[in-house]
Amino acid sequence: MKMRRVLIILAVATAGFATCALRAQQGNSQTDASPASNPVQKISLPQYPPELRPGPGSEAFRNNCLICHSARYVTMQPRFTKAVWQAEVQKMITAYGASITPADKDAIVNYLVSSHGTKDAGAPQVQGATAPK
Amino acid sequence: MDLPTRFDRRHFVGMLAGMGAVATLGGVTIPVAAFATDSAPELTAAEMQSRELVRFPGKVPMILLTDRPPQLETPLQYFFSDLTPNDAFFVRWHLSGIPTSVELRTFRLEVSGLVQKPLSLSLDDVKSKFEPVSVVAFSQCAGNSRSFFRPMVPGGQWTHGAMGNAQWKGVRLKEVLDAAGVRAGATEVYLGGLDAPPLKATPPFEKSLSIDHARDGEVMIAYEMNGDPLPMLNGFPIRLVVPGWYATYWVKSLSSITVADQPLKSFWMQKAYRIPNNPTANEDPSHLSQDTVPINRMAVHSIFLRPGPNEKLLAGRSYQLEGLAMDGGSEIRRVEVSKDGGQNWTDASLDAEIGKYSWRRWRADWTPPARGNYRLMARASNAAGEAQLTSQWNRSGYQRSLIEQYDAVVL
Repeated sequence: MKMRRVLIILAVATAGFATCALRAQQGNSQTDASPASNPVQKISLPQYPPELRPGPGSEAFRNNCLICHSARYVTMQPRFTKAVWQAEVQKMITAYGASITPADKDAIVNYLVSSHGTKDAGAPQVQGATAPK
Repeated sequence: MDLPTRFDRRHFVGMLAGMGAVATLGGVTIPVAAFATDSAPELTAAEMQSRELVRFPGKVPMILLTDRPPQLETPLQYFFSDLTPNDAFFVRWHLSGIPTSVELRTFRLEVSGLVQKPLSLSLDDVKSKFEPVSVVAFSQCAGNSRSFFRPMVPGGQWTHGAMGNAQWKGVRLKEVLDAAGVRAGATEVYLGGLDAPPLKATPPFEKSLSIDHARDGEVMIAYEMNGDPLPMLNGFPIRLVVPGWYATYWVKSLSSITVADQPLKSFWMQKAYRIPNNPTANEDPSHLSQDTVPINRMAVHSIFLRPGPNEKLLAGRSYQLEGLAMDGGSEIRRVEVSKDGGQNWTDASLDAEIGKYSWRRWRADWTPPARGNYRLMARASNAAGEAQLTSQWNRSGYQRSLIEQYDAVVL
């Protein structure tokens, strides 16, 4: 059961990446499909996936996080301490219902710290933010 | 615009360090270590300006924060017009299942809950069964300007462009509620849209207003923005307009209105979009407030538009400083400008008022007397006596009301 879920997630993630690559190649100029009087309004959303730094945990990050949101959610942030990234990943689990195993959670936090982290300040940590990401 | 620079922050840190281990800013005690040079997260001016411009459907090239779901910031140059063009208006969705197709033949706004007669309204019903009204109202993300908070906080790293001013046309929420017949005991109105969570376990985006607020005659269900239908990315075919309140309440692609007698039990009201329970939404990084409330009316703020980012200024030449001031609808009455880091202030002139829920443009003349560095500042206040703050921080980077500064280099 668990294995099957992992496989599904992998399949979704892989498909997502293929789509990203394809869309990036298609270019980015799109306009609203139709005037307002048209009873059907449709848009097609472009994607702009950022380049991800390789490193331990990057697979766990891709497999768990990109199902729901773009990696831009990380790359737009400044560098944060491990405590901040831990709180962010925990929020994805607690508040947003992400199903992440403890092992993957650790791997994701470590990846975020290595790719987008800063050493602990020993200062007040900015965590528990109520800002949705 | 007051983009932060490494130089400024180091200067600031040095100043604090010189004051000892603890600095007191406007009565808030902040351990200096919070700003430590090596560990404080920051974005440099270069990083902020290298942010990518991208194209989305129906939009001019916008500053990319995130692509899925889309969060797009309005480039500063569009704020020189009093109404922000629809195709440049900022975009902020929460959940990746955003509506990409709306079929007007089947689209319905459902009004249900504690009402005598549930309604199911098409767009034509909304337009034809209620009196059309119109208002110019300023809209702003709760986290607009978040990237300028220090220490920096997680969240959308907006500069000042998660905002816009538009003329909205629609119908009063009150009339729609009256048509459904609100039953006795109702206290809340829940509002939901067409966007869908990516996972079953992810809370759907829903907001609530008190029944009194919902029936104040100002909250509007808008179907036009600046004379045109709403862009898909701004909530086609209808969205809520809550004049004076942060945009988190302006539910896009509004599809459900539920009248209730209990507070909405939703992550988006109970956990997210909350501020410390004090008038300035202020808290100490080392002692976070336990008492929080949902963010609500917009605070007084003002920004610089001119000089522009990195604009070269020459000594002896005359310039017009320009900016925008905004609040939660109490009417901006005064904007003062300082050219010496806040020691002396002079009144800026205000453009004619467009409406109490609109932003207001300010201008001030300045001829830099000599070469050198000048810290320009602007502070606004409104008819309710609310003024911008000299210090402010909260964990979520909400309700920015700090006096902004522009560090001008005069050659």
